[in-house]
This record gives sequence, structure tokens and C-alpha cells, in this order.
Amino acid sequence: MLARRHFLSLSAALLTATALVSPTLASDRKPARGGKLTWGVETEPATLNPQLNGQDKTKLLLRNAYESLLARTADGGYVPWLATGHEISPDGRTYTFRLREGVKFSDGLAFDAAAVATNFSKLKDASYSGSVSAGPVARIAKIDAPDARTVSFTLDRIYAPFLDYAAGLELLSPGAFASAQIKSGGPEIAGTGPFILRRYAKGQEIRFVRNPDYNWAPANAGHQGPAYLDEVTYRFLPESSVRTGALASGQVDLIEGVSGNDAGLFKDSADFSYQTALNTGTPYSLFLNVTWGPTQDVKVRKALIASIDVDAVLKSVYRGERTRAWGITSPIDTQFYDKSIEKTYGADPKRANQLLDEAGWTGRDPQGFRTKDGKRLTIEVVQAQATVRDQRDVLLQALQAQARQNAGIDLAIVFVDAGTYTERRKTGQFGSIANSNTPTDAIDIEYHYLPVDQGGSINYSRAAAPELSQWLKEAAATLDHKTRFDLYAKLQRFAILDQAYALPLYEPEDQVAAARYVNGISFRPFKQMPESAYGVWRSE
Amino acid sequence: MDSRNTSVATPVPAFAVSRLFRLRRNGLTAQIAGRIGSGLLVLWAAVTLSFVSVHLAPGDIVSLLIGEQLRTPEVEAAIRAEWGLDEPLPAQYLSYLTRVLHGDFGRSYILQTEVSQLVLSQILPTLKLTAAALFVAIVFALVSAVLSAGRRVPRSIAGALELTLVSTPSFWLGILLLYLFSFTLKLFPVSGDRSFSALVLPALALGLPLGAVIGQVLRQGLERALEEPFALTVRSWGTSEFVLRLRHGLRHAALPAVTLTGWLVGSLLSGAVITESVFGRPGLGRVTVEAVLGHDMPVVLAVAILSALVYVTLSTLVDVLYLWLDPRLRSDSREAVR
Repeated sequence: MLARRHFLSLSAALLTATALVSPTLASDRKPARGGKLTWGVETEPATLNPQLNGQDKTKLLLRNAYESLLARTADGGYVPWLATGHEISPDGRTYTFRLREGVKFSDGLAFDAAAVATNFSKLKDASYSGSVSAGPVARIAKIDAPDARTVSFTLDRIYAPFLDYAAGLELLSPGAFASAQIKSGGPEIAGTGPFILRRYAKGQEIRFVRNPDYNWAPANAGHQGPAYLDEVTYRFLPESSVRTGALASGQVDLIEGVSGNDAGLFKDSADFSYQTALNTGTPYSLFLNVTWGPTQDVKVRKALIASIDVDAVLKSVYRGERTRAWGITSPIDTQFYDKSIEKTYGADPKRANQLLDEAGWTGRDPQGFRTKDGKRLTIEVVQAQATVRDQRDVLLQALQAQARQNAGIDLAIVFVDAGTYTERRKTGQFGSIANSNTPTDAIDIEYHYLPVDQGGSINYSRAAAPELSQWLKEAAATLDHKTRFDLYAKLQRFAILDQAYALPLYEPEDQVAAARYVNGISFRPFKQMPESAYGVWRSE
Repeated sequence: MDSRNTSVATPVPAFAVSRLFRLRRNGLTAQIAGRIGSGLLVLWAAVTLSFVSVHLAPGDIVSLLIGEQLRTPEVEAAIRAEWGLDEPLPAQYLSYLTRVLHGDFGRSYILQTEVSQLVLSQILPTLKLTAAALFVAIVFALVSAVLSAGRRVPRSIAGALELTLVSTPSFWLGILLLYLFSFTLKLFPVSGDRSFSALVLPALALGLPLGAVIGQVLRQGLERALEEPFALTVRSWGTSEFVLRLRHGLRHAALPAVTLTGWLVGSLLSGAVITESVFGRPGLGRVTVEAVLGHDMPVVLAVAILSALVYVTLSTLVDVLYLWLDPRLRSDSREAVR
């Protein structure tokens, strides 16, 4: 791994040299129509059905073909898209959407209330949607379509994150549910998007062509009417250095996912543009298991957190290209991030050692690790080998070195296969798991902090303190923003400062690098993540 | 050459069977039937072993499919019902065997597509890459062995080159080739199964290390052959050194190399995963690795069947090649049949 990184920086230097001699392309500001574009992406979708696909990294391509009722604004508000507006009943349980006229799916079927109702009722069926059926749709008690342009959902009780979910769900043509491709997704599954999914070659690429009839972009999109490009192809290049090389040599027009080492290559170049955007959701954090091993003791958890200098680690691993995180949700979250958590804790080796002495880990073994009753202070970080990305293996190793050096803690990183990982998650036999997620509207917090058996599907601290579920349920059961903010802020202080359930490390981000002639690249307002190719155009 | 070929035309298949399965004096039909029967046995064993080992590996299928998503009893029940996982294992195993006999390989748990379609869509790019890599390997091995056998300086150059190639991780070799020929010289495109030129670099990345292994074996064989008395005889006819190596030496040297190649090609078919992902190529390698990691049983079993088929075919092919290469084996077999 280390050797590979050195090699990559060498190649980066080589590429800079070649980039310097190529001519600078002029770009004029008026969007031009036509042309094709190839986009090198890291992640291949497991399914092309956007309703069943849980991979955030594939949204940028699936959103070309599939759209939702409302779009978000940067401050978390909602603007019309396939729905012209929405209303919440005074009791807070019924959500009514007015649908736009004249929208049709690319298979010719009309977009109407019945189509929307079909999508939601299908999702409630576990045989179609599996785990998705247990999510927010499970709270819908009744779906109504009083006329062709109105659809309403009545929940069993108030659930504040529902609007985000209902507004953002990608809608499929009702005809698609009869297709054999419904679960795998594919060209037979029609949407309303500015592009139409034309061809999928597994392991290689996916191609979209312009939808000529498209005329229903969200109110806050950069333009209206059909997309600029005739065609856009997403090529799957899982190796980061290969994506970099493919862009630098002109074989693709833009790429997603640029490693910290390669960023400088595009950042300071006249031939390329480079943009990043922080993700939403819970930052990448080391969750400490409160039900297994030494981390059951809050003093050990606090000691581990005090033994690690996160800033120094991020600087050395990512060359300062990543953003330090402090709390239970992303600093970019304009709705629920309580900034006051920042700098309230940090590296303090003296305190770390004092805490461990108090906790009885007073012995030392020949390697310098702390021991108690002859047993070494080992915290096992379980990591699935297949899901290592963004140099997180190197990051974990850096944490390991700090914990050892500053406090004599053995932070053992165990790389396992997917099956073992699943098994350890299920039985709870791990010291720590590092994880992040991206949902907004505090759904990210629910997944990480509700008890494991009550919807905390990725609650890797396995915390089940009664306060947590009480606050989370209270917050979800009110539509008052201030009340919700205060509850999540309280939870944040409790989880991070009082209980040390997790050590937030950094906020993941998306990077897009493109040749200069590619214009109109953007990230989604509020939801972050790269936007579809709707606003992208070539200036040649 | 021609006359010899026709003279051995009939004994070839008979010998191929007999050598492996010791079914002598049984007549041609019985021997072919035996070969098919043992092939089926190998297929069945491959399926059974894969089935058992996936179930023995840690992590149950339902948990893997749910992953980090919400888990409720209803969700679990729906998944079990969809894939027939609520039945006891022996019943699942038997129903799988029955369906395969009817040509139904099932649907992938993870990708939700028909397995036969999935495998068919990936097999062509895999075969192309394997064939191209094999071509590269054979050319490399032949050139390196013929030019360097028994000559001190060329031998150490070729040996060093081969050692470097064998010990270079395929990820590195792939990236290195890409930087040189794709990103810098811009001779070949990086990715996909799109044109012949896109095949060149992955074939080199996969074929060169293979060629290096075969080359080492071939050179040793060639050197041994050139020291044998027959080499002296041939030289005394006034034959040039080059012809001696090519026409006579290689035949003697080829047997172990052919065995090794047959074995290595089998591993190429599903073992090209790193090359595939570096070059962004479709192929069975990546599909297989993902299926095994995700316990995607229908895909794992289909690949197991395919691999077993390939191995059976290759071993037959290697047997036939033996005969063509070594006339001594042919006369043996004729005597044995008589």
C-alpha cells in the first residue's frame, strides 16, 4: 500500500509535466448544445433501480434518468420539481403533493397521481423492496389519489424526516413494475429524467441519451428545457490512479473520486477544473463498542479519544485535503449541525494516561502496551477489506500508531472478508467499527444512535442508553425545527463528550475533476454529492 | 509432417482417454462415454464443493443481503421466501441440482439478474482476454527460450526479465503499462472491452507474467534436449542451430510447458480480477470475486460449473497435444490397444 502511494505521486509528477505542454482551451460562457461526454466513475451500481440502490456514489448517474417530487435548496428548503407544491395537514400527519402537468415517463406513460401512489405502495411491499420497506415508507398508513394531480400520504403518527424521504424518492414509470428488469434496473425501467438510460454493459459502462421531451427541471436548476448534451457515458474505473491517468491523457472528459495525492495535479492546472463538496450525514467516525471488550468502560473510550491527535493524522494521511469532523452530523448540514461541539475535546495524552490508570490498566507488557491482570489493552477495529476506500486503511494505521505511542493502547486493525464482517456486526463481537453515512434530516443520526433492534441498523457503538431513543423519538415526532435542533444538540454532547461513543474523524467529500472544456458541473444543493449531467455542456 | 498427422488421426482420442482413465481395450465408444461420465462427475463435485464451502464460510446469506440496511423480521422473511432460503440445506441443494439439469441457473441474489445472462455477457470479454494473454505468453516464452537456451549472456538477461515479470504484482504491471503506453504515449486506450487496441495492454499485463513462468520451464527443457545424443546427430547432418532448436529441441522441451500452460489458462479464466479492475474491463473475474464475497450462491455455482467444464476440456486438449508432440507416446498407445 505504502509503496503504491509513492509510485502514484511519482506518476502524478510525470503527468503534471505532460499537462504543462498541452494547449489551454478557451471556454466561452454561453452554454452550447450537443456533444457527447465520458465520465470516469469509481462505483458500479449493484442495481440500476434507484429505489433499491443504497450506494450514494451511484446517485450522480441514476439521477439522469430518475427524478423526484421536490428539490432541496441549500438551506434545506423545498422547491417544485415533479410536484408544484406540498402541504402538511395541521395535525402533522398528512402530506399532500400537487403534481405538475404535462410530465411523462420516457416509455410514454403519463406521470400522474396514480403513478406516484403505485411507487409508494410497491415500496411498502418487502418482496419488492426488502429493507427499504422497513424505512420511512413503513410509516405510511394510507395513500390517497383524489384526482389525477393530487396525491397524499397519511402517516400513523408524526415523523419529521418523512418529507425529505417522500420528496426525494426517485419515481419509476408504473409500467416498469411489470418488467423482469424491475429489481436489477435497466433500459426497461423508465423514469422522467433529462436523459434516458440506453445501454448498460456490466463491468464497463452505462450510457444515457438526451430525453428530447424533457421540460420539467426543478425550479432551482440552472436552466430549463432539454439537457445540453446529446449523450453521456459513465465508464467504471475502480482504480483511482487509472481515473486520474485517463482524465490527464484525455481519454475521459471528467472523473469523480480523486485521491488526496492526485488532487494537486488538477487543482493548479489551467487545463483542468477541480471541485469538491463535503458529504452530508454522519462523519467518518470510530465507533466504540460499549457492549464488548475494554471499550465497555467509558474511561477507556475517553482515553482512546484523548490519545489521538486527529488534526495531525489527517494532515499526514491526506495532505490537508480532508475536513476534520467533530460531531454526530456533517458540518455542512444547515439544519441540525450544532457547531458548539467543535474544539470541546481533543488530543490530551496526559489525561488519556490518567484515565487508563484509573481504569486499572496499569501494567505494561514488553511491547509497551498497557495491561490489566496480564491481559493487553487491545481494541479490535474490524474493517471489511472490500469496502476500504479513500485511503482509510492508511488512516486507521495512523490512528493505531498514535494510540500506541500516546497511551499504550493496542488499536488492532483486523481486515476481514464481507462474510466475517457481517457475522461480527451481527454478534457484536468487535471493539470498534469505523463508519459514515449520508442521509440528511437526522435520519443519519437515527441509524447510528437508535438501539440496534429499534432501527439503529448501523449503531456500531451498540449504545442503548434510554436517553438516546427517547430524544430521537421526541425529535422525530415534532415538526418544530428549534425543538429538534436542541434535542440533536443534546444528543451530540451526550454521545461524544459524556459517553465517548464515537471519535469523529473527517467528513467524507466528493471530488470532481474535469477538462476545462467541460462546464456546468455542480453539486446538489443541500444534499451535496455530484449532480446529474443535466447542466453540463462542452465549450468546443 | 502431414503424413504423420493423418496416420495418428484415429488413435488420438482413444489414447487421450486411456492415458487418464486407464480404460484400455474397452473400445472407442465406451472410452468416450467414460470420459463424459468422469467429466460429469467432476462437474457434480465442483458444484457440491462450492455449495458446501459457501455455506461453511462465515456470514449467513440473509445478513449479507441486508448489509447495513434496516433489518426486521418481515424483511428477513421476504428475503428467505424470495430465494427459497427457508428450506433446509439439503432441499436447497437438491432443488438447485434439479433446476440446473433443466438449464435454469437461477437469479443472482445481489445483482438480481438471470445468472445465465450474466455469465454469458461476461464470458466473451473473458475469453478474448484469456486468448490474447495466452498468445502473448506463448510468443514470449518461445522467443525467450529459443533465443536464450544454453547461451550464457542472453540466458541471464532473459532470466532476470522473467524473474522481474513473475514477481511484479499484476496491479503494478497493469498501472505501469497504462502510464507508459496509454497515459503518456497515448498509443492504447485505457478501458473497456471496446476495440482490439483496448485489449493489447490488459493482454500484456496478464500474459507477460504467464509467459515468464512458461519460458523458464521451456528453456530448461530445451537445454536438456540440446544435450541429448539426438542433438549431436541432427547437428552432424549439417542442420543449422536455429532449425535444430525450433524443429527438434522444442518438441522435447514442450511436454512440461504444455502441462503447465493448460493449468495456468484454467486459472486465467476466473483469476483475472485485478487486471480487469485496473483496466475497467468486464469479465468473469470480478463477477466471481464479488459473488464469493457476497455469498451470491447461484453465481458462485454457475462459475464453478463453468470452470470445471473448462478444466475438463483443457485436460483433454493437453492430452491430445501430448500425442502430437511426442510420437513415442503414440506407438505406446497403439501397442496397448493391440
